[in-house]
Amino acid sequence: MIGLSGAASVVGIGATEFSKDSGRSELRLAAEAVRAALADAGLGPSDVDGLVTFSMDANAEIAVARELGVPRLRFFGQIGYGGGAACATVGHAAMAVATGLADVVVCYRAFNERSGHRFGRMAAGATAAPTSGGIDNGWQYPVGLATPAATVAMFAQRYLHEFGATSEDFGRVAVAMRRHAATNPRAWFHGRPITLAEHQASRWIVEPLHLLDCCQESDGAVAVVVTGTERARDLPHPPAVIAAAAQGSGADQFTMTSYYRDDLTGLPELGVVAAQLWAQAGIGPGDVQVGMLYDHFTPFVLVQLEELGFCGRGEARHLIADGGIELGGVLPVNPHGGQLGEAYIHGMNGLAEGVRQIRGSSVNQVADVRNVVVTAGTGVPTSGLVLTAG
Amino acid sequence: MSRAPAAPPAVGTELPALRLDVTTTFVVSTALATRDFQDVHHDRAAAVARGSQDIFLNILTTTGLVQRCVTDWAGPGAVVRAVSIRLGVPCYAGDELVLGGRVAEVAAGPDGDEVVVGVVGRCSLGDHVTGTVRVVLP
Amino acid sequence: MSAGVAPAPVDAPDAARRIEETARRLVEAGDCAPRPARDPVNEPMINNWTEALGDANPAYPGQAPPAMVQVWTMGGLHGRRAADDPLGAMSAVLDEAGFTSVVATDCAQTYARVLRPGERLAIRSRLTGVAGPKRTALGEGWFVTTVSTWTVDDEPVAEMMFRILKFRPPPPPEPPREVPRPQVNRDTAYFWEGTAVGELRIQRCGGCGALRHPPGPMCPRCGATRPGYVVASGRGEVYSFVVHHHPPLPGRRAPFVVALVELEEGVRVLGELRGVEPGAVRVGLPVEVGLDRIDDELVLPAWRPR
Repeated sequence: MIGLSGAASVVGIGATEFSKDSGRSELRLAAEAVRAALADAGLGPSDVDGLVTFSMDANAEIAVARELGVPRLRFFGQIGYGGGAACATVGHAAMAVATGLADVVVCYRAFNERSGHRFGRMAAGATAAPTSGGIDNGWQYPVGLATPAATVAMFAQRYLHEFGATSEDFGRVAVAMRRHAATNPRAWFHGRPITLAEHQASRWIVEPLHLLDCCQESDGAVAVVVTGTERARDLPHPPAVIAAAAQGSGADQFTMTSYYRDDLTGLPELGVVAAQLWAQAGIGPGDVQVGMLYDHFTPFVLVQLEELGFCGRGEARHLIADGGIELGGVLPVNPHGGQLGEAYIHGMNGLAEGVRQIRGSSVNQVADVRNVVVTAGTGVPTSGLVLTAG
Repeated sequence: MSRAPAAPPAVGTELPALRLDVTTTFVVSTALATRDFQDVHHDRAAAVARGSQDIFLNILTTTGLVQRCVTDWAGPGAVVRAVSIRLGVPCYAGDELVLGGRVAEVAAGPDGDEVVVGVVGRCSLGDHVTGTVRVVLP
Repeated sequence: MSAGVAPAPVDAPDAARRIEETARRLVEAGDCAPRPARDPVNEPMINNWTEALGDANPAYPGQAPPAMVQVWTMGGLHGRRAADDPLGAMSAVLDEAGFTSVVATDCAQTYARVLRPGERLAIRSRLTGVAGPKRTALGEGWFVTTVSTWTVDDEPVAEMMFRILKFRPPPPPEPPREVPRPQVNRDTAYFWEGTAVGELRIQRCGGCGALRHPPGPMCPRCGATRPGYVVASGRGEVYSFVVHHHPPLPGRRAPFVVALVELEEGVRVLGELRGVEPGAVRVGLPVEVGLDRIDDELVLPAWRPR
């Protein structure tokens, strides 16, 4: 993997507004975000020769290429496992660039997740597909475990039991994200921080998760442009060098329901990612100034801190106490407000914030950022990145 | 098919069966002839809405048919003193009702032989009616 | 027989007392006022009756069929129950207590003499008894008995004991539950066939004997592709659980509990945990299997406390 670290960089980021009803098609959102990212990179559609997205994205690479007027594509692909794909889109793009398969690859995610198909509802037809995934879903949907919140709640309950954590520990994550979002004009919850008491008073969704443990649902799109680091140095913004990129899946892995392993309190698939990230980048948790951690549900933010090595097993609640993951804390997490505060764009908005933190251009900028770790969807086969100032 | 009027009947005598095709027309015409205007005896949609599978015979008709089962056998000279029935399953339009009787008691009285006949009326769902008819034979 | 909508439940002993008090009052009140028949006994109505019932008895229409006696005093198409009718008053109280459905059970008529065309009948009724609450095949109910007397002038000519059952309609059957149905294939059929016959089956490797759930076609331990199964004891403990509140899910009423149960055999299985208040569920709660029959084709694993 020596060949990948540092070979490619993120040179452009773009997004639509984040809303509850975009009023336009998902393909248009994708095209707008890709065009914005290219403009940010100082490039145009004719420079693009690669596109990567999520297998859950409704907009095929060729459809996006048509709208942009991309004359030819040499590299394209879709990554599976929901939000677990987020960092892997950039990882695959970096591999393509590093190996010469492509020069400029744009990674995108676009959806009307709030006004259209909502992930928080039970996915109709989840058990109908004659696939291994359809078979897997047959063990949980019919018996009433049928939403993302419910699948995470099952982990969370065991985590509380084993480590003596409380719902308030989950709540501190939500409070931190909303505090960050409150000063981010792009965030849906701009100007609307919450207190721990408000978290505790919010209604149950699936015990032990309150409403405010669950991220919002959003319409919007984010795209990022990846190219070779050498070329990146000629472009307008300082490159966010991809120091490490990894995917991970653990033993006896399921999508959201890896309930049959010996231990139910960790995220071994992220452990697989973390080991690769530190090895590729040649750094450790202590070298990271900002964490961009996937926060669709609060409990897994604690577990990610543990799997990445920022603290020991079951100790994340101590790390997050007293503002540990807030701006000014020991490890600021998601200065943009995360998916709990800014928007739920399947992790891609966190990736874009990671680039801003490297550039020094965030509205909630952390001082002296050298390395940012970025994670993707949790509870699923996942991915991660280390971005480094070039 | 009336009995021969001469000798008193023996206990255990079986009456000829009375077989009735319970058509919709039969249910409706008997209900109206007995001045029973409840919708479940003439309006199929209403009967179904109330949980029945179809319109069904009314009680006054069932009482009259139990009587008829005995008087058909006993003849025009017989005097009916009592009809006592217990109701069972409903008899819906489209079913067949078969009434049968059996002499249960015979006693000499001032006006003739006093006979008690046990009657059972069956349809496809089971016993629609069981009862007794007390009749005096001249 | 007609079924009504059951009103809100009334305190049972209180309702029974009210029914019995009403019954006593009505029995004491005796006969209601006589109500005259609309028409005298007449040949046209007798002919309509014999024609409809197919009764060819030549004694009619010179005399009225005895079993026709009630016809003369029927209320008719627009008839209303008289205000002092005891059955009406009794039914109202029973309706109020939730015994809203009615079925006639017995009818015994006696005829003092033959009636002939031209005679004018009147009817009066009294309540003679209310018995209950009794369990019947139709549901819990009260038997209400009335006696009616027909008179010509003041001469009693016929009498009828009439008994009805006023019963509480059984709750409407639960609508069929629509839950997402599992995809079943060669690897998983044994499990769903098991729940259908009341067994919780765990895959057992035909090579090394390892138990595994959820199942798969190839043993991850020894590589064998000869899966069999064992029937689980059905006993286990809650390893983790959730209480689902939102959003609404088809076939389930929130809040409900879904538990990840670790069986004695060492494997974990998901299922709804029933028969325990959500607030009382704890990790480690001992449970046993209690299958959840959705319909003839689908039985889900489920749990209950033991």
